[in-house]
Amino acid sequence: MMPDNDHYVVIGNGPAGNHAAATLREKDKDARITIISDECVPYYYKPRLTGFIANEIRREKLFVSSWGSYKEQNIRIRLGQEVEKIDPDSKVLFLQHMEKINYTKLIIASGSRARLLPSMSRYADCLKFITSYTDVMEHKEAIRKANDFFIFGGDLVAFKFLKMLVAMGKTVTILIYPGAFWPYNLSDDMLAQITQSLSKFDVGIIIKDNVESIDEQEGSVLVKTRKGIEKKVNMVFSFNGLSPNIDFAKGSGIDIDHGILVDEYLRTNIKSIYACGSCAQIYNPAVKSYTASIGWPNAVAQGNVAGLNLLGDHKVIESAGRKYFDLEGVKIKTTWWDDIDDES
Amino acid sequence: MKDINIVIEICGSAGEGTISAGEILSRFMSGQGFEIMSFDSYPAEIRGFGKCVAHTRISSNPIYSPGKFVDVLISLNDKHSISQLGSLKESGVLIYDSQPARPHKEDESAVGWTKPGMVSYGIPLNMLAHKAAGNARGMNMVALGVIAALFHMEKDQFTDSIKARYGKKKQIVIDSNVNSFIEGYGWTKENIKKNDSYSFKGVNLPEQKEKLIINGNQLVARAALDSNLSFYAGYPITPATKIMEILSRELPKHGGTLLQTEDEISAIGAVVGAGFGGKRAMTATSGPGFALMTEFTGLSVMAEVPAVIINSQRGGPSTGIPTKTEQSDFNSAVSGGTGDCPRIVLAPTDTKSCYDAVVLALYLAEKYQTLVVVLMDFFLSNSIKNIDVPQKPLPEYLNANIAPGKDELKDYKRYKITKNGISPRAVPGTKGGIFFSTGLEHDEYGRPDYGEAGHLKMTRKRFKKFNAVLSEAPAPEISISGKNEFDIGVISWGSSAGAAHEAVMSAQKEGINASSFSSMMVSPFPQKALIEFSDKCKKILIPELNFSGQFAGFTSHILKRPVEKLNFITGRPMASEDIIQKMREM
Amino acid sequence: MENISSEYLDEKLETVRNIDFLQYRSKELPTWCPGCGYFGIVDALYRACRELNLKNEDIVTVSGIGCSGRTPVFINSYGFHTLHGRSIPVASGLKLAREDLTVFAVAGDGDALGIGGGHLPHVARKNINITFLLFDNSIYGLTKGQSSSTTPYEMKTNSHPAGNPDTPLNPVRLALSYGASFVARGYAGDPEGLKEIIKKATLHQGFSFVQILTPCVTFDKENRTWKNLKLKVTGLKLCVEGKNMETAMRIAEDEPHGVGIIYQDKDRPHYQEILRTINKAG
Repeated sequence: MMPDNDHYVVIGNGPAGNHAAATLREKDKDARITIISDECVPYYYKPRLTGFIANEIRREKLFVSSWGSYKEQNIRIRLGQEVEKIDPDSKVLFLQHMEKINYTKLIIASGSRARLLPSMSRYADCLKFITSYTDVMEHKEAIRKANDFFIFGGDLVAFKFLKMLVAMGKTVTILIYPGAFWPYNLSDDMLAQITQSLSKFDVGIIIKDNVESIDEQEGSVLVKTRKGIEKKVNMVFSFNGLSPNIDFAKGSGIDIDHGILVDEYLRTNIKSIYACGSCAQIYNPAVKSYTASIGWPNAVAQGNVAGLNLLGDHKVIESAGRKYFDLEGVKIKTTWWDDIDDES
Repeated sequence: MKDINIVIEICGSAGEGTISAGEILSRFMSGQGFEIMSFDSYPAEIRGFGKCVAHTRISSNPIYSPGKFVDVLISLNDKHSISQLGSLKESGVLIYDSQPARPHKEDESAVGWTKPGMVSYGIPLNMLAHKAAGNARGMNMVALGVIAALFHMEKDQFTDSIKARYGKKKQIVIDSNVNSFIEGYGWTKENIKKNDSYSFKGVNLPEQKEKLIINGNQLVARAALDSNLSFYAGYPITPATKIMEILSRELPKHGGTLLQTEDEISAIGAVVGAGFGGKRAMTATSGPGFALMTEFTGLSVMAEVPAVIINSQRGGPSTGIPTKTEQSDFNSAVSGGTGDCPRIVLAPTDTKSCYDAVVLALYLAEKYQTLVVVLMDFFLSNSIKNIDVPQKPLPEYLNANIAPGKDELKDYKRYKITKNGISPRAVPGTKGGIFFSTGLEHDEYGRPDYGEAGHLKMTRKRFKKFNAVLSEAPAPEISISGKNEFDIGVISWGSSAGAAHEAVMSAQKEGINASSFSSMMVSPFPQKALIEFSDKCKKILIPELNFSGQFAGFTSHILKRPVEKLNFITGRPMASEDIIQKMREM
Repeated sequence: MENISSEYLDEKLETVRNIDFLQYRSKELPTWCPGCGYFGIVDALYRACRELNLKNEDIVTVSGIGCSGRTPVFINSYGFHTLHGRSIPVASGLKLAREDLTVFAVAGDGDALGIGGGHLPHVARKNINITFLLFDNSIYGLTKGQSSSTTPYEMKTNSHPAGNPDTPLNPVRLALSYGASFVARGYAGDPEGLKEIIKKATLHQGFSFVQILTPCVTFDKENRTWKNLKLKVTGLKLCVEGKNMETAMRIAEDEPHGVGIIYQDKDRPHYQEILRTINKAG
C-alpha cells in the first residue's frame, strides 16, 4: 500500500466502471485504483444473461474479465461490498460492512436496477426480476422447472426473455405496460405494432389493461387484471425498465435528480467526483437539460471520458449515444431522459 | 450416498473464545456422527491479543488430514481473519461482523478482501451478543448459532452441547452462552438468504459408537497410564509439556511418580535410573530437549537400560519455531549421538496410533532393554480427532521383562550373549542378580572390557537384538494393495502418512494409479516390505515436512533408486492437496 | 612406589580379612593408584553398610565418570556407572521409582560441581532421599591432572601450568545454600569417622550430602597431599547435627576443615513423602 499515491475509486463493476478504471490505469501507472461493486461476480455481459438461463451460453462465456485480469491491471476489486454513503468533505466512503475507504477522486458508475413500479410494490414478494447475475442464479433452476409464466411490463429485456421462454417450450402470458419502456411511454400505435410482431409466437398478449392483484397460492401465483382476466402461473416477472442505483449518494451533497447530475464533462457538482453510465443524468447544452442513457456502448464511451477527465482532460461526452432501439420492429428513440412519471 | 466434507475455521483474538467455540463445534458434530479433526493455532505468547484460529474438518468419511483449504471462515476479528482468507476456497463462505463496535479502517475489513465467487454473510455478531447477554463475550456463540442456521445443524441438540460444555459453570454463564447461540441462529434464519451450497443435512451416518475426542498428547498420557507407567520425568517444552501436565495429575493416582527436573538431561537421567530399577519410565520433549538427551540415549543402548523418549517435533534447528509443526528430527532420532548406537524409533502416523506407539514403546523398551524414541510432532500432539476408544494393551504387553532363571543366577551374566541378543535382566533387589552396568564397553558380566574382540562381540549382540525387534513391527500400512503395478508409490512417515493416504485415494478418482506405504516403526525399518512395495512402483514420491528430505535420503539408501522428494517447512501439517498436485506433475 | 603399593595392599587386605564387611567388597581388583584416598572411602562405605546391616542386593551404587566413577565396580551391590556428572539424576530416578532400595550416588569434584553442577541444587531442594558422596580430590585425575572446580586458586595444574586462575567452589557452603537437609564433611584418611558419617547420612531421610576430602596421590603433589590433609583436617568435637545454619556456614569456611556432621534437618520430609502429602491433598 502506498498511502501517498492517489487513490481512484470507481463504484460499479459494469462497462462504465471497468472502462473508467482501465482508462485510469492506462494513463496513470502508479495510482491505486479500486473498483467496488455490490455484486459478487467479475465484470460480465448483462445482455447474455437470458442466453445463460436458456443454457445457450456457458457460464464462462458470461464474463468479460476474470479475477486475474484485475490483478494484471493492478486494480483492487472489491466485490459483494456495498457503499453506504459518501462523505465528500473528508473524501471517505463508508461501506456497508463498516469499513472506511479514503479516496482522492471518485467515479460513480453504479448502474441501475430493475424498476419496481410503486403501484406494484405491495406484490414485491411475488415478483421476480432478471436484471443481474444474482437474479439469474436465484431463479435459473426454478425457470427451467416451471411451465407457466406471466410477464408484466415490456422493456427491451422483457421481449428477449419472452422469446427465450417460448423457445424453451414454456407457456407465457404478457401484459404489455405502456410505461415499461421507461422513460419512454409506448403509444397505442406502437402497442399495436408490437402485438402484431409478437403474434407469430404462441403467447397470450394482454394490452390496455393493468394488474388488479397478485396472490401466491399453494406454490402457484394467481394474477388478476382489472378487466377480469385471471391467470394461474408458476412465476411472475416484472420488466419495467431500470432505475439508477444511487441510494448511497443521497444526502452527500451531490446533486441528484433521478440519477446523478453531471455536466458534459461528467463532473458532478462536487470536485473530484464524477459519474457515468446509466446511473448518471448528463447535461446536454443543446437542449439545456439533463438526459439519461442506457445500453452497453454508451456506458463504455462514458466510462472512458470520465476516466480521462478525472485525470485532467476536458473531453465532452458525445450526447447522442445510440439513438434508436429496436423494440420488436418498432424504432424507439430513447437516449434522452423523458418524463418518467409512473402511470399510477 | 452424499459425502459431506467441510472445513470450518473460526478466527479471532486470544480471549474471544475462538478455541472454545471450535471445541464445542467439534464435540457437537462428533456427537452427530461425523468424523472430525481439528487443529487450532494460537499465539506463542501467554496472554495478549494474538491471533487464534480454530480449524475443524467435518466429514461423513474417515479423515486423514486437516484439509488445506477452508470452506467456511468465521471472522470474530477482521484484523486477524484477513490473512486467513488466503486459504478460503474460491467458492468458500465468509461470515463476518457487519456491525463491529468501531468502523474498520481502510483494508482492515475481512470482507473487503474476499475474492469473486466467495459468499459473504454479514451478521451483526457483536450487536447480537450484546442483545443476548449484555456484552460482546458471547460473539463466539452467536457465530455458532449462525453456522448452525446456515448449514442446517440441529438447533436443540446444539444447544444441549453448549449446555454440556458450560455445565459446571454458574447458571448465568450457561444462559448467556445459550442465549447468544439462539440469538445468532434466529437472526440468521430470519434475515439471511442462503447463497451457498454447504449443508450438513442429507447424509446417512453410521451407528454411533462411543468416541473419544482427544489429541495426541492426551493419548500419549492415556497409553502410558494404561501401560503401567510408574515413573515420568520431564522438563517443560512446547509442544510436549501437556503430556507432563496430564501425567502430573493422573500418574500419582495410578501409584506412579512424576518428577519435574531442572533440565532434559536430568529428566532422561532419572528415566534411565528408574528403568535400571526395573520400572517403566518415560519422558517427553521436543527437538532442543532431545538434543540434550542425546548423551543418555547412548547410555541406554550401551548399558541396555529401558528408556522411552517422546519427541514431539517442532520447527528446528535450535530453538527454531516452537509452535509450528515439522518432521526434521528424523536423522537425530534414528542416528543422532555417538557410536554404533541402534535404537528403536516409532513414528505414529495419526492420532490413534500415538496410543499404539506408546504402548509398543514401553513394551519394546522393557523387553529389548533399550531406548525407544516415539517421534510425534506439533500437529499430532495438538490436533484433535474423534476416535474409537482404544483397546487396552494385552497383558503380555504389560510385563515384558525377561528375568534370569535360578540357574542363570548361579553365575549371573547380565550381558550374556544369546540367540536374539536379549540377556535376561535382573532388577535391583534380586538376590544373586547383582551386576555392574556401565557406559563403557564391557564383557558379559558387565565388567569394563576394551578388547577388540569384546567390542565386536558386544556390538554384534546389540545389533542382533535390534534386528530381532523387526519381528514385532506393526504391519506397514499400504493404501492400495492387490495390484502389481503402480505408476506412483508414495512413501511417507509420521504425521505425513495420513495426507499421503488421502492423496492416493483421491488420485485414484482422477485416474492416477498410485499407492502409499508407511510404517510406524522407522528404526529398525521393515526394509523387505519397503522394497517389495517399491518394486511395484514406477516412480517413488516421498513427502515430508523438512527441507532436506531426511527420510527420503534414508529410504533411497535402502531402495538404491532415485526418489522424488516433496518437502515443506511451512509449519503447517502435510496437505493431501499438495501431494496430489505433485502426483499430477509426475 | 611399587614397594609402597604392595605393602599398602597387603596391609589393607589383612584388615579386610579380619573384619566382616568383606561381603560388600566385590571380587574386582581396584584400578585406583596405590595410596589413593578412595580406598579409605570405600572401606568406610563397606563398614557403614555392614553396621547398617544392609542386604547387598538392596543397595545400588550410582556413579558418574572419573576415578570415582569406578567405585561401583568394587562394591558388591548393584552398580551403575553412568555419565559424566549425571549420577545425581540417575540415582534420583532410581530412588523415586524404587523406594525400597538404598541408593548411593558418588561423584568426583569435576563430576558433581563442574559438568554436573546444575543437578546439585535441585536434588537438594527437592530433598530426594539419596546419599551423595562427593569424592573431592580437587583435581581431574582420570584425565591426568587438570584444574577442577575445587582446585585452589593459583595452584599449578596440567591445564593451568602457570597457576589456576579460577576461584574454587566451597562444596559444603554450596550444599548448605542449596538447602540440603543433611550436610557433612568426611576425610578419606579417617575411615572410622567417615563410616559414622556415611551411616548417619544413609539413615537420614532426605538428601544427604557428604564432602569427602581425599588426596590425589598422582596428580596433586602440593596441595591436598596426605601430609597436608592431616594438618588441614580437624575432627569436629561436637557434631552440629542440627539446624544451625550460622554455625554450619562458619564450619564450611573454617580452616582447618572441620570433619563431621555440619547440618541436619530431621523434620523436613523427603521428596516422596512430600509428593504423597501433596497428591493426597490435591
